[in-house]
Amino acid sequence: MRQDFLIIGGGVVGMAVAYGLARAGQGVTVLDESDDALRASRGNAGLTWVQGKGIGMPRYAELSLDAVRGWSAFARELTERTGIDLQYEQRGGVDLCFDAEEAESRQREYDELQQASPRLAREFEWDYLSRDALLPYLPELGERIHGGTWSPHDGHCNPLYLLRALYAASRALGVEIHPSTPAQALSKADSGFCATTAKGTFTAERIVIAAGLGARTLAPTLGLSGAVAPLRGQILVTERLPALGWLPTPQLRQTASGGVLIGDTHERSGFDKGVTLAMMQAIAAKAVQICPALEATRLVRAWGALRVMTPDGNPLYEASASHPGAYNINCHSGITLASFHASALAEAILNDRLGQQYAAFSGERFHVSA
Amino acid sequence: MFRRSERGCAAPRQVTVWLDGQPCQVPDTLSVAAAVLHLHGWQGYRRHHDGSTRAPLCMMGVCQECLISIDGRPNRQGCLEPVYEGMRIERQQGERHAD
Amino acid sequence: MPTNARPTEIAIVGAGPAGMAAAIRLAEAGLRPVVFDLNAIPGGQIYRQLASPQVDARIMGQEYLRGRELLAAFDRAAIDYRPDSRVWWTQREDDGYSLGVLQHGRTQHWQARRLILASGAMERGWPFPGWQLPGVMNAGAAQILLKQGALLPETPPVLAGSGPLLYLLAWQYLRAGRPPQLVLDMASPSSRYIEPLRRPRGAWLGRGYLAKGARMIAALRRAGVPVRRRVDGLQAEGGEAVERVRYRHRGRWHVQSTGLLLGHFGITPEPQLARSLQLAHAWHHSQQCFLPSRGPTLQADESLWIAGDGGGIGGALNAEREGRLAALAVLDTMAENATATPSEEAQALRRARRRDLAARPLLEAMFRLPDDWLSTQPDTTLVCRCESVSRGELESAIAQGGAGPNQLKAFTRCGMGPCQGRQCGESVNRLLAGRLGQSHDAVGYYHIRPPVHSVTLGELATAQQQ
Repeated sequence: MRQDFLIIGGGVVGMAVAYGLARAGQGVTVLDESDDALRASRGNAGLTWVQGKGIGMPRYAELSLDAVRGWSAFARELTERTGIDLQYEQRGGVDLCFDAEEAESRQREYDELQQASPRLAREFEWDYLSRDALLPYLPELGERIHGGTWSPHDGHCNPLYLLRALYAASRALGVEIHPSTPAQALSKADSGFCATTAKGTFTAERIVIAAGLGARTLAPTLGLSGAVAPLRGQILVTERLPALGWLPTPQLRQTASGGVLIGDTHERSGFDKGVTLAMMQAIAAKAVQICPALEATRLVRAWGALRVMTPDGNPLYEASASHPGAYNINCHSGITLASFHASALAEAILNDRLGQQYAAFSGERFHVSA
Repeated sequence: MFRRSERGCAAPRQVTVWLDGQPCQVPDTLSVAAAVLHLHGWQGYRRHHDGSTRAPLCMMGVCQECLISIDGRPNRQGCLEPVYEGMRIERQQGERHAD
Repeated sequence: MPTNARPTEIAIVGAGPAGMAAAIRLAEAGLRPVVFDLNAIPGGQIYRQLASPQVDARIMGQEYLRGRELLAAFDRAAIDYRPDSRVWWTQREDDGYSLGVLQHGRTQHWQARRLILASGAMERGWPFPGWQLPGVMNAGAAQILLKQGALLPETPPVLAGSGPLLYLLAWQYLRAGRPPQLVLDMASPSSRYIEPLRRPRGAWLGRGYLAKGARMIAALRRAGVPVRRRVDGLQAEGGEAVERVRYRHRGRWHVQSTGLLLGHFGITPEPQLARSLQLAHAWHHSQQCFLPSRGPTLQADESLWIAGDGGGIGGALNAEREGRLAALAVLDTMAENATATPSEEAQALRRARRRDLAARPLLEAMFRLPDDWLSTQPDTTLVCRCESVSRGELESAIAQGGAGPNQLKAFTRCGMGPCQGRQCGESVNRLLAGRLGQSHDAVGYYHIRPPVHSVTLGELATAQQQ
């Protein structure tokens, strides 16, 4: 029996779409890479975040807002289906500013975003708070921090448990997941699509490429955009600590198990996902500056992960014009957007309305000649 | 409890360490974890984040079960740090952890 | 490369027999290697505290004293020896290796053109019910207490497991006048008596080991210490600490009251540095663990050699030889007119090494652990002690799609704690290999991330100000 959908990629983006389609009654097969693959889904910090999204593309900020509004129900639903607690919390979040200049440019960005979208002007709530005003949200915040933008929309979850819950829920819905089965080539077959792998050929009526950086080579073969590039982030995580009572920040957040995740570096380092001593030292120094109480805290693990970045940093959602029935889903914000990917986006794919409903997110925007 | 053997052994130099506020004499060749096992045994060595009781397993820097507070710095690997005169050692009873 | 890195021609990690021998040989050739060691005094685990022994040779045995010459030569040689130094990070560079070293609360950055890893071995993490209870310790840990301060357990312990160290410790306790109350030998019985007969050459070469083992067991029996063989079940029970041990012998469970269970389930290479450099590893059937892949000169990477038990379990004398062999290989790469044929010294070392290692398969067969052990343990048995993850939790995550060690780690936190997977890595590999029907090599291992030794944010940040 031929499947309805073939999903290329078993990360958090591919699995959210697979789950959404399976929940709608579709027969879905997921092809995943090996345990050693690049895996942005396993390396990220777990923020469900609206702040900073869609600068220059208000529609993306609106999507993010929709996504976090749906997150609570999404998390509850996954927990009910799988028993896995996603450790999701939405108590607001703070994006720190280290000096007056950063504070000013941040506020200007948010103002401009709201001027460009009447909806964001109404619905995107945020405030700039000085260091002292932040203390109730971030007790014992370092004295050298200027302040930060606070927003009630922001939150965090355990991204690894999100991934696990998507696996468990999808499997329970009959999704076939093939680990260590990377797609080597994609092609049109009869009235559907075919993926060639070392373990044989897989076919389905339609195909969704959610391959992260793997889309660079796979997507163009079906007339879709491969315009994604790696952007490395290095993260440190500490041993478990008593609850600090801090709201999450992109710079530093305490997880439900008590460890503190630190770091929001952005480095162009090709496909090297290692860590560097200089950057680890810089992150540690910054962490102690933000939260001096962490000085004697032990580092348990440091890792690098590669963000999947489009040229403008905004998501890539598109339907192939040359190969109807092939779709490309790619973004660096797979955690925040997971609730949206599993619902409205999966529905748009199912109804073959992706190209029309999300035209602004097509890869064509990168091909406009100057 | 681990006791010092009387048979065929050199007499070591002793140092005074403060264990949970009490001054104690221990041979200066011992690590912090060895000193605690010598003075109090494995009972009450440490409480884990899940509430279970734990004590050193490997004594050679591998297992991380010997975590203990040394001179006010929590979660030090007791098996890797030699004792010295005046050292303050506190056994950790779980206050270090979130859950 | 950052400008503040300290350069060295050759760095050695570890000051046990392999690291000391390598350093001594390099110093003889006029080099001044840097030796980083975790401990405050040289000797590694085998020769711990030998510079000022706490216990008489009649208790420790002659093998302990054998390291004296090595320690003396190490002490005399012109070596940049750095005790109390934790190499917590390493990375391959164009011209060697970067090392992050923590010494006296500060992180230093070193740049070594060539690197010898001599990080030794560790006792295998072997899950059984209750192994996390206080009062369960490794036999090697108890031996460290003996070496460090002549410390003996106040109450007679139960010793359980498999491997030469188990009997050695029992014999040392006996010599010290405090024999154990019970020895539970858990070697896998099928191989135990058959294997030596299949390997007459190995039996001949290993006759020294066999005779020594037989003498120790005989001494224990004479002293009235019961030695139970073919024990195939073990559980530690108690509230806040061990109160009793349950074991299965000849199909029946028995209970023994004790406050101290000393377990030993063989030793495996300490894997963290080699793994963090992503060096190739392969499962070794006979040693029942992963070993880093090494060439005939012990080379494991462009400018990196692994000497001693960190490359495969061969014992202290073999480690010493391997240290010298690695040093000779390093010297070869530095010689202007390097010859293709090994020197007489290298050839003699290799011959001795081959002869010594030929006895290992016999020992490994005699002390083989049951391969299916973990899958026969109760669901609640902890596999990851740091994060308290049980076998049952791992099984359910595998059923939900956890198809590799790293995905399983992500799904369950198994291996995410401060020991960095040292205690559970092999178990997770075994569990996955069994459940997925794949080879140990196909399943693979955790990605090992820095720090491979503890470092605080403050210690890491201070290097900024240097």
